[in-house]
This record gives sequence, C-alpha cells and structure tokens, in this order.
Amino acid sequence: MATEIRMEKLRCAFGSTVAVDDISMTFPAESVTCLLGPSGCGKTTLMRMLAGLQDPSSGEIYFGNQRVTDLTPSERNIGMVFQYPVVYRGTTLFQNVELPLKRDKSVSKTERQRRVESILESLNLKHLANEDVAALDNATRQKAAVARAVARQPQIILFDEPITNVDVNAKVQLKQALKELVKQHSQTIIYVTHDQTEAMTLADEIALMEKGKIVQRGIPGELYNNPNSRFGGWFLGNPGMNFVEHPLTTHDGGLALGAPLFRQLIRLPALQGLNSVMVGIRPERVVLGEETPQSVSGQVLRSALVIGGQYLVSVKIGAVVVKAKIARETPFEAGAIIPVNCPLPDVKLFSPSGERLDVTLT
Amino acid sequence: MIVLEFRQVSKKFKQVVIAQEMNLQIRDGSFSVIFGAPGTGKSTLLRLITGLDQPDKGEIYLRGENMAKVSAADRNIGYVPQSFALYPHYSVFDNIAYPLQLMGVRRVDYTSVVEQVAQQLQITHLLQKKPDQCSGGEKQRVAIARGIVKNTKIFILDDPLTGLDFKLRERLFDDLRQMREDLGATFIYTTSDPLETLILAEDIHVLDGGQIIETGPTPQLYWQPKHVRTMQLLGFPNTNVLPGQVENGHCVVGNLRFPLEMNGNSAHAGESRVAVRPQHLQINPSSGSGFLTAPAEITLVEDLGGDLHVYLALNQTPLEALIPNTSIDLLTEGSATIGIHPRHMRVYDAASGQYIGQGRA
Repeated sequence: MATEIRMEKLRCAFGSTVAVDDISMTFPAESVTCLLGPSGCGKTTLMRMLAGLQDPSSGEIYFGNQRVTDLTPSERNIGMVFQYPVVYRGTTLFQNVELPLKRDKSVSKTERQRRVESILESLNLKHLANEDVAALDNATRQKAAVARAVARQPQIILFDEPITNVDVNAKVQLKQALKELVKQHSQTIIYVTHDQTEAMTLADEIALMEKGKIVQRGIPGELYNNPNSRFGGWFLGNPGMNFVEHPLTTHDGGLALGAPLFRQLIRLPALQGLNSVMVGIRPERVVLGEETPQSVSGQVLRSALVIGGQYLVSVKIGAVVVKAKIARETPFEAGAIIPVNCPLPDVKLFSPSGERLDVTLT
Repeated sequence: MIVLEFRQVSKKFKQVVIAQEMNLQIRDGSFSVIFGAPGTGKSTLLRLITGLDQPDKGEIYLRGENMAKVSAADRNIGYVPQSFALYPHYSVFDNIAYPLQLMGVRRVDYTSVVEQVAQQLQITHLLQKKPDQCSGGEKQRVAIARGIVKNTKIFILDDPLTGLDFKLRERLFDDLRQMREDLGATFIYTTSDPLETLILAEDIHVLDGGQIIETGPTPQLYWQPKHVRTMQLLGFPNTNVLPGQVENGHCVVGNLRFPLEMNGNSAHAGESRVAVRPQHLQINPSSGSGFLTAPAEITLVEDLGGDLHVYLALNQTPLEALIPNTSIDLLTEGSATIGIHPRHMRVYDAASGQYIGQGRA
C-alpha cells in the first residue's frame, strides 16, 4: 500500500546555514511529487531526511500515520535511486533486481521470480537479464537500479536526480521507462531534480524550492502559467518570464498603470501601500509586429534562433528590454521599430518584492 | 577581412584524423562558432590556432601572417579554457593578471588594466577573493576576464559554458555577445551544443569528419543547409532524417511520394536522405491542408513550458516533433497521425550529403 508523506515543521541546519527551513506539507499518496529547484535550494537535504540519511534539526516526518522521524533508512520501507547507479558487480542483472526481494521472507520464490520478470519486461531489459551488470552501460545500470527499487514494492520510492548522469539518448529512454512504471505501479514517488523539463514531464505535482522553503506546489501547467512569485516565473521557462517595473499613477481617482509596456492606462483595483508593480509576461506570449490600441513601439536589438527555429527577439522599449519568442521564418532586423503587444490575459503582476498580486487586468 | 585562415591543414591526434586538408576562414570582428559533435577534435583545432600544437601539413595565417615559425607566446591571442582552470591559491586579481605577469608587465602597469576588465565583467567586488569563494558563474567571469586581459582583438573560447546550469547559461549568452561587441574583437568559440551555437554565432563553421563541411551566417545555415549533416546537427530538437529514393523528379519516403523542386541537376536520381525539422512535423493535422500523412506512435511527451517536445515512432524509426503548448486537447502517449508538408522536406544525396532539392505541393 502506498502512503502519504507528511512533514511537520521540518528543519535542517548546518551551522548557520539553514538548508531546509520549517517545511510543513503533505506529499500525497500514489502520486509523483517532483522537488524542483536550483542547486543549493535544499531539495537534496529534504529528500535525505525523508530517506533517513540525514537527521532533521527539528520537526517530524510521518509516513501515513506512522511517525518515522527516528527510524533508520532500512526501517522506513522505502526504495531509493541515486544520481549514480548503485549495482552489485559480479552478479547478473536479474540477481541485482532480485536481491532485496530475497531478504523479504514474506515473498515466495515464485512470486519473486514473477515480480522480477514483470519489471524487467516493462523496462525493456528482459533480454539482458543474464548479463553481468559490470558489462552494461551506465544508463542500463541505472534502469537496473530503478527496477530493483520498484520490484520490492516499497510504499515510497525516492529518486535523486536519477537521469542527470546518463547521455542524451538514454535520458529519453529512461524518462519513457519511468513514466511507464509510474503508470503501472501506484507507489508514492518523490523525485528530486534541478531540470524543469524532467519535472514538468514526470510530475503529478511540482514542489518548487527556493532557499530551504517550498515556495509553490501545483500541477506543472499551473506552476508554469501562474507562478506565485517572481522566482517561479524566472526559474521555469527558457528563458524565464520578462519582468518590467511599472510605476503606478493616479487616474480617475484610482490607480493605473501604463508606460513602458502599455500605451493606454489600465485601471487597477486598490493596491495598498504600493507605488509600483512588476509586470511579468512569458516571452512566448509577447506579440510582435501587430499594431493594437494597447501596443507600444520597440526597437529590435537582436534576433537569435532558438528551439524549433523560433526567434528570441530582444526589443528595447524606452529604457527596458523585453524578450519575445516567436515562430517565423525570417528574423526581425536589428534596429527595426515594431509594435510590441503584451496581451492582458497573459500579464501577471507582482509586488516589487516579488510576490504575485491577485489582480486580473482588463 | 579575414583574420584567421587555415589552408589545407591536416592534423592527426593519437591516430585520429582531426583535420584533412581543412580550409577555414574567420571574419575579423565576428562571433564565429566552430560547431561539431563531441569528439570531432574542436579543442585540437584550437591548439593549432594558439600554437600549442603544430599542423602535420598545411598553413595557418593569423592577421595575414604565416604562423609556421611563430611561437604560442608571440601570437597574442586571448584564451578562455573549457574548465575554469583558475589557480586556487591566487586571488581573483592575480588570476586575471596572470597572462600579463607572464609577459613581464609590471604590477603598476597592469593594475588599472585588471581593474578595468573586472569592471567590464562586473566582478570588481571579487578581486580580493579566492576562486573557491566565488560561485560557478563568477568563476566563469573570472576565467573570461583572464582571457581578455591581454591587449588583443582575437579571443579563443573553448566551450566555456559547458557544465553550467542553464539559468546561468541563459544570462551568459547575452553577456558574451555584448562582450564581443564592446571589445570589437573576434571571438572564435567552440561548442557541440546546437542551441548555444544558434544563439551566439554570427558565423557558423560546421566541423565533421575532419572537414569544415559548411560555413555561413547563422540563419542561412539553419534554414538552407547545403549539407545533410549540417541540417542534422544544427538544431534542437533533432532534425528527422529518413532514407528516401529520388526518381523522375519525385522523392519516395516509405509510403509517401512527393514532387521535387530540384536545385540544378533535374535528372538526379538515386538514394537520398529526406530531412524535416521537428517544428514542421504536425501531429493530427487538419485534413485537406496539403499534408502527407502517416500513422505513428507517440512514445513520450516532454513539457517544455512554452512548447511540447514529442517523441514518436514511425514503424521503428524514431521521430521528434516540437509543437506549441497551447493545444487544448491534452497530448498523450499512444497512436497519432503525423503530417508533413512537402515544402518542408529537404532532400539530400545519400552518398555526398549534398542538397538536391525540396518538396513542392
């Protein structure tokens, strides 16, 4: 049975450095939660505490109703897959996957055989079952490590950047394999990564971490489209969101915002104590070359070819530079003056300190 | 004007052919990227330019001068190595000053130069620190500062962004372009990353099999590649390349057949390679829009945020597509129909790799 993971005021400090800062949260059962964040955000420390490899400074961890804070890793009934594949050299791939099952006396020999065969089958490893693991490439060994963690059917599996160190082609294979496995088995999975594509592709929910805290949690599309902080908007996306500071002006007895990104003033509901807001918009939402009542003039600084033949165009509007990602076969020439339009439904507002403001622009 | 030229240069490194009668011309004041897959010998090529290694045959001209008898020390080239390669026991200041110290410049003379370069790279606050006290991005800037501290207009950057996390790379892309413009210098830059190449390069030189197989401005090499390897290597996601057959002005790929607009020799026939960019592969296209269609299997959908990177299999052949992440219907693994417009199929000769023509409706 899979189980949820509950953290209560979980904290871990190394000297004066707080790696994990009072996290209270529940990761739901039978789903994949990706801990995503830049290096040094505390995601690995958090995972190590869940695994029992790192003692918390304070706080509690529960698996379902069971308090596990003081349990050793082996008492926690979890599977783990690390960045570098851990395999037992000198044994076959089959034996590698079978080994932890052998220790479990409640599993009969027939059941054991069945489980190993089924997992090797779904990872496309069956033809390699009798190969010595030492002779296999890195990616296949990592698959073996995944198979071993899954075959035991622990309630929780922890993945620590499992595909960071395999080559590009094998990455795709491993991602396919992981997605397939997750579909077939209903374990609770915590997956640590710094790679947003991996997280967006594999996660049911992403927990975005910054400086020891989980700053936002949600389904991938929600995190991408509705970041609740400037950090989230910047970190997700390639490149991340544009942010442009706008002073607030008084208009018709209320607050309004206009230049540099908007030709006409946009009325805002009262925003207490703010003199300015940060306007955020994703590069692929910025529209270039179409005159609208709300568009402003910008000068093209440069166009660079990026993913899928799209152009990443840097446009200077007054003193600010905005990036737009657009699909077209001819670039805008540097120096050209073109209309720049930020459609209001795609504009997100943030406070000067970076929190999302709950304001819809119309 | 040409600032660096290879004339018929040949070079073997540990029995591997790095260059086979290679010709290469770098424009003065350009951001030139030598782009090639890993292991094609890009670093060895750079060692020939800096003078740390000699060609087996052929000549290298720098600023119009034959380099055969010019030592590395006298070539006056700025160099930014692949790994940071900073001296841990020196301060950032001394790391940056090192090339000038080697040249025998006195401290009173180089202090202001180092400070100026540090200011340019916004690392003035780091000058008294040790490299270990700097973040990865800061170290990279220090390494670049050391590369540009010499009074030179030619810089070699050997895959300097490799291994850095992508948010930092994103920022350094802008910085590097700006830096080259500010310095008014020539940057000769190597990488095996197609996106890095496309973002940074003004001129691209594609290195493959000991030859520069194609050279030109970035948009030209991306949109009208003359060699199938250029089309295959230069782009992300990967270009789809399928075997085909050209006959009677038509091309046949699997069950698909389309007329060709030939480039020159209209009688061309035989085995070919048909290349299609991932953004030109439609998934479940609307009917009647001129697409050639085939049934395929979606094996993985990667969410890139603004786009979806879709992996497919057509029979056993893997294909890749990139579609905007705006479709309301959720795309998932399973069967699908792919559609390709004939004008997006570029056809190359199988043997020579040279461009033959492209499909027409």
